[in-house]
Amino acid sequence: MTSEKKPGKTARYGMTIDVDRCNGCGACMVACAVENNIPPAHEGANDRKGITWIRVFQVDNGEDYPNRRSAFVPVLCQQCGKDAPCVAVCPQQAVEVDPATGIVGQMPERCLGCRYCMVACPYHARYFNWWDPAWPAGMEKTLNPDVAPRMRGVVEKCNFCHGRWHAAIERAAANGRAIEAVDYVPACVEACPTGAIQFGDLNRPESAPAQAAKNGNSFRLLEKIGTEPKIYYRSKKDWVRQIASAPKPGIGKETSRG
Amino acid sequence: MNTTRRDLFKFVGGSVVGAFLTPVPWRLITDSALWSENWPGIPRPARGEIRTRFTNCALCPAGCAVRARCVGDQPVALMGVPGHPLSHGALCPFGLTAHHLPSLPSRLKQGPAKEAAQAVSAAISKCGPAEQVAVLDLRPGRTASWTYRRALASVKNGLYLAPPSPLGGSAAFDLQKAKTVLSFGAPLLDGWGTPGNVIAARENFRLIQAEPLESCTASLADLWLPIRPGSEEALAQAIANVLADRRGQGPGGAPADSAGRGQGNLAAATGLTEQQIASVAEELAHNGPALVLDAGQTPSAMELNRQLGSLGRTIVARRETPVPESWKKAAPVTNLTSVPDGSIRVLLIDESAVDGYLSWSTIARKLVRDNPLIVTFAWSRQGYGRYAQYVLPTAVYPEVFDDIPPAIDSASAAFRIAAPLVAPPAGMVNPSEFIGGLAGLPAADALRERADAIHKAGRGTLFTYAGAKSAALRDVKPDDFWKALNEGGCWLDAVDEKRDKPILPDMAAPGATESSTEDLPLVAITCETRAAAAPLSPLMSKLYQESNLRLSPNHAVLNPVTARACGVGDGARAILQTRCGSAQIEISLDSGVPPGVVKVAAGAGMIDLCGASTRAKVVAA
Repeated sequence: MTSEKKPGKTARYGMTIDVDRCNGCGACMVACAVENNIPPAHEGANDRKGITWIRVFQVDNGEDYPNRRSAFVPVLCQQCGKDAPCVAVCPQQAVEVDPATGIVGQMPERCLGCRYCMVACPYHARYFNWWDPAWPAGMEKTLNPDVAPRMRGVVEKCNFCHGRWHAAIERAAANGRAIEAVDYVPACVEACPTGAIQFGDLNRPESAPAQAAKNGNSFRLLEKIGTEPKIYYRSKKDWVRQIASAPKPGIGKETSRG
Repeated sequence: MNTTRRDLFKFVGGSVVGAFLTPVPWRLITDSALWSENWPGIPRPARGEIRTRFTNCALCPAGCAVRARCVGDQPVALMGVPGHPLSHGALCPFGLTAHHLPSLPSRLKQGPAKEAAQAVSAAISKCGPAEQVAVLDLRPGRTASWTYRRALASVKNGLYLAPPSPLGGSAAFDLQKAKTVLSFGAPLLDGWGTPGNVIAARENFRLIQAEPLESCTASLADLWLPIRPGSEEALAQAIANVLADRRGQGPGGAPADSAGRGQGNLAAATGLTEQQIASVAEELAHNGPALVLDAGQTPSAMELNRQLGSLGRTIVARRETPVPESWKKAAPVTNLTSVPDGSIRVLLIDESAVDGYLSWSTIARKLVRDNPLIVTFAWSRQGYGRYAQYVLPTAVYPEVFDDIPPAIDSASAAFRIAAPLVAPPAGMVNPSEFIGGLAGLPAADALRERADAIHKAGRGTLFTYAGAKSAALRDVKPDDFWKALNEGGCWLDAVDEKRDKPILPDMAAPGATESSTEDLPLVAITCETRAAAAPLSPLMSKLYQESNLRLSPNHAVLNPVTARACGVGDGARAILQTRCGSAQIEISLDSGVPPGVVKVAAGAGMIDLCGASTRAKVVAA
């Protein structure tokens, strides 16, 4: 399945992340959790069982002290533009690509929790609800009214803050016009204090991601597998760009810090 | 054909097995999933009118401007305010999740306020002539701080204490003017000063970070100098020697520090080469204006600033935010470290606004030995409440109604109010009303009185959120000024064109560094100090538990070589021992940590353990 559309007809939302600006503060992670009603960690949650639609990994050049050099790489659903593996494997059609936006969406109501999509996702950007969503007493009233909490036993992932997109459509419609690229940004983009994350429509050449895609220092994660991710990273450091295309054995997600 | 009971069993069994090969089970699973989405165990978000309100974050002295998205009166999301002159739209993870803080399970809901007031009054009346009644204010410069000082001026042996500060409140670092910044472990890009202001200035200066660990700041610095733990003084001295040589003032050849070490020995102590040090000194001298920052607040860093001519350029005098004339009969600000040991009989600690957590041993040595009275005003018992007789519950941001003094990187005086977004619950104690009450001072209208004093001074501008505009204060009426402040507005002082060089307080020389001993062979380095005393939203588990982005409390990181020497492995439970006590920790291994170092996360307990004593030992539990 593909979300590639002709420019001007539909949007093809994407992001650019400047790794050289990311200071690993984690504002994007908590802003995402607030926006999308992701619950705090269950007692038994850890870095494998927790839910972080966007997760900042600390990667390094593989050297020991004092030659170690690190960088922070936020990883979220890469919104594959072509042959998204999660779409193909879902037995429930719970994963669909929205042709109007190119956003790979996850429908928890359809999901039966088989987790095939988690296995298939080459970016490990999908998370399973191991526990009922629970907030400390009194914190429920701080939930975002635009997003329904998901139940135990389903998979969830980044959807570029679909609730915000819907709200933007309504606002635009109220003003008698169609939604434009500048009408909404996901919560992580809004929260990033360093401005490392930018969002826009890849079909519009003037948008930040479209410009970033042309930058010589841009790269996408695991570009060689041909999924055409719509998240473009950028770094002037050679070793960062190399890690993105060919992670060293043993320095994958499972052992990197993040 | 006879149908036997056996046939019946076979038919039923076959039907059950066959059913698994049909879509029925899948359909049932799907339907149960649909049903479970709406079961009562899943909370339903409240609905209502969506409103936007503004305030200023009171969690740290940065005081970032906040835009709150509210359903009715309940904030459901907090964001920064783009275009704000101080915070430039930035908000840290702590600030983004602050609307959860009123619901923290560990929050204190009630406390013995009347009993505490009686105990304090009784203890004050029994104070001996050499014994002090002190208030330790962990965020000086607020209107509440003035109330404490005014109250203590009329209390016998009253003493107003503030934590040690490199600039003493009358000066600020001006990053916008700096071209080269040398930082001795200051977390410049990870929460130092006003994060948005630092980020806005970052394009204009070259950052040299000198610290043993590759912190977030070090990883983004233009140059990271991986120095040996505890060698910051030696590096500062070595750079000062090079600068003195350049000016022809040095002894030449082999200048020595107070310990008689020559340049070669100083370089060896830092783990850097003499060429590296000379290169840094040259850069500071050539690519000015320069600025030297120091996490440890040592005098040598400030001396470097003097040599580099930073005073008046990148370290500037800052006028005080105006206060009513009648307030100026107040107790002076006393640095905690300058108080004689064993002299405080009654200590009141305001933990409701905390800029940094001091190790308890630093405070405890100032108390009299026999039954000192300690009262803390705090949101929980996790801080100094562990050592106090009375812990009185306070409102927590965003319930508080308090002002935020200008941050250390704010070149102009500023006044902004953390206007409450939600009402505090009943039973909360207002520290300024409690302490003001000891001297019969009304404190309820202090903020308004100060706002009027600022308006009377008539200088500066008022930044409001309506279109993100600034207006000259003289064009604003007093009531409008007060209203704007309550709606998240910010007053910024006019730049004083004729300002003099700042007068900096004398800083105490650092205590003798503990040398390596057989029993404590490691150096403990605390990180994540911002999270030490501040209340944390449960959602911060995304950073501390559900990912390994930040080091979680009671975790320690060792180099694999060090871990082998200590007899511990990855994920092992261990005991961290210092001169101040011991604690159980969980070990992680990382070859990016220098050998001989144990990196620990700074909770309040860990700062009490490691804050005053950097030597440590790790043993298997």
